[in-house]
Amino acid sequence: MVLAMGAVAHAQAPAAAPAAAAPPPSAATAELAAAAAKAPAVADLAKGDPGGAITGTINDVPVSDSTKGLTLPDTANQIGQNKIAINFVWTLVTGYLVMFMQAGFAMVESGLCRVKNANHTYMMNFMVYACGLFAYWLMGFAIQMGGAAGNGNLGGLQSLTGEHTMSLFGKTWGLFGAAGFLLSGHTYDVGVMVIFLFEMVFMDTALTIVTGACAERWKFLAFCVSSTIMGAITYPLYGNWAWGGGWLSQLGVNNQLGKGYCDFAGSGVVHAVGGITALAVSMIVGPRIGKFNRDGSSNPIIGHDVSAVLIGCFILAFGWFGFNPGSTLGASAAGNLRIGTIAVDTMLAGCTGTFGAMLFMWMKNGKVDASMSGNGLLAGLVAITAPSGFVSSVGACIIGVVAGVLVVLSCSFVENVMKVDDPVGAISVHGTCGLWGVLSVGLLADGTSNYGGSWNGITGSVTGLFYGDASQLAAQLVGISTLLGFVFTLSFLINLGVEVFVGQRVSVETEVAGLDLPEMGQLGYPEFVFKAEPGFIMHANEEAMAA
Amino acid sequence: MAANKSQGSYYTLFLAAATVFCAGIYEYSGGMGKLLLVVGAAGLVGSLVGMMSIKSLEGRTALKPSPGIMKLVGAGVCALGWLITLFGMHLTPSVGGRIALSLVGIGVTLFGIIVVLPAAFNKNAVWKS
Repeated sequence: MVLAMGAVAHAQAPAAAPAAAAPPPSAATAELAAAAAKAPAVADLAKGDPGGAITGTINDVPVSDSTKGLTLPDTANQIGQNKIAINFVWTLVTGYLVMFMQAGFAMVESGLCRVKNANHTYMMNFMVYACGLFAYWLMGFAIQMGGAAGNGNLGGLQSLTGEHTMSLFGKTWGLFGAAGFLLSGHTYDVGVMVIFLFEMVFMDTALTIVTGACAERWKFLAFCVSSTIMGAITYPLYGNWAWGGGWLSQLGVNNQLGKGYCDFAGSGVVHAVGGITALAVSMIVGPRIGKFNRDGSSNPIIGHDVSAVLIGCFILAFGWFGFNPGSTLGASAAGNLRIGTIAVDTMLAGCTGTFGAMLFMWMKNGKVDASMSGNGLLAGLVAITAPSGFVSSVGACIIGVVAGVLVVLSCSFVENVMKVDDPVGAISVHGTCGLWGVLSVGLLADGTSNYGGSWNGITGSVTGLFYGDASQLAAQLVGISTLLGFVFTLSFLINLGVEVFVGQRVSVETEVAGLDLPEMGQLGYPEFVFKAEPGFIMHANEEAMAA
Repeated sequence: MAANKSQGSYYTLFLAAATVFCAGIYEYSGGMGKLLLVVGAAGLVGSLVGMMSIKSLEGRTALKPSPGIMKLVGAGVCALGWLITLFGMHLTPSVGGRIALSLVGIGVTLFGIIVVLPAAFNKNAVWKS
């Protein structure tokens, strides 16, 4: 520590007498020296500074050579380091906010499940953090960000230069990264650690979406294996294509499609990947006992704690201020002052999403549906995630309200048409509304954002169809097609493999008893007296046991 | 059967083998890297085979066998839609044409997801019996 401190001398240190042969100081250096001389002395600071007027002055700028005192290069270096420091702190703190979203997901998902499965659902949301983080450290980060060098906000990240490419149709396309396995070698770097933390919490958000859709019947071992593979392969691959310098981000450079595929904070990369994987796994795991009747009609299986659901939604909305504004990866330089707009867009879309879902349910059923209102909030937030960096507040309101209505329609479609059982509505909230968010960039991006003058290597601002650039819509459609056609298929095949080797579903006896005791060895609420389940569930349980 | 010691052991092996496997990728250029890669891959296969060996102990689930070929056909249709979009980008330079071909690709994929796969999974669904 002492050695480290000794490496930098500060301007207030007494300067040694200049060497006789030294060149005369430049005007700038002389001006700096004069300013240093006028700065508050140690004696002034010793009196205390209640107003903060004399704390943090030229004397706090480190000098590289105490014999010369403060020079212009010292000052410029400090400015550069301040910019990077601001961006590091911004990115880390917003990453911590996103990490806290895990608590929100746990409360929402467990609250929407029955009390007999509370411990199991909470535990899946808890363990997905560890499964995903470990897999991402092992290889996921390398695949996603291994070729993501060149981010000026975080100091360049120049050790991430391992993108594997392929030549096709005379163009070079990025496929996957290959630097950063176990964060070792050249990737043992301060900037890489910051981007790792931020990208990791995003990845974990995608993984935890699946646990909600498969709750109340997913075998814990299958969940562990499936989540580990998703964190290592499925998520990072699409993440590379969109954010790591992969082929989707190159659609602008290679195919003249707008600014390439644009997904500011992850409606597609995070939420649609999670929601689409949730759909694939839910199909394989199958519906809960009692969810569907013989005629195909569905039964509502009510969750045990609506207060947990709504508090969880608020925690998620709070965490979203890390998700979207944090995706600038900095607060200083390169157009990053747009963070205020991004935060307000995020709030507004959540607001109109809540209204969209609540009013639609109220008009449709005559009652306000608390869980669907919560899903409306989340739907609006999911949808604004991709366009948050590119749209106006009016655009954000439109995106949110559409998502709020869409989530209600989608939940009904998934349940009643596809006969897929999704206890928490995760497929609709994250999958359907994530796709809508990706699409909305191609429609409503207003061309006013300016992140360093270019996006994905194309000069200019991201502009959607309604503001004059139809080619951006085409790029977004390619992204949507990749999510549905590639990510779904890959997730489906991987989880079919998990079904073959591990078995995705718990036994009938375990499901009827509730997963808490057989899988976790402990009830979520051991002092609760369980109320008898509704008649249709009891009947279905008896039939399943007897079959 | 529910959770048990064997499950915990095989998942531990799975994680340890994945770690060795990734260390092998990282050190691939050296002789030790290739060895680690092989050992890790063997461990991964071993863990999966181990999980498979205890799978039947789980007991009867509320699922009935559904046509596997139909599931693979559904997955194939989904992938086909993506390929239509992918190669459609190179068939025409016009933005309108690319948008149209992307929509065709998305439509084909959705047919796989919404029609083919649910039909496969629901053909022998437990709730129908």
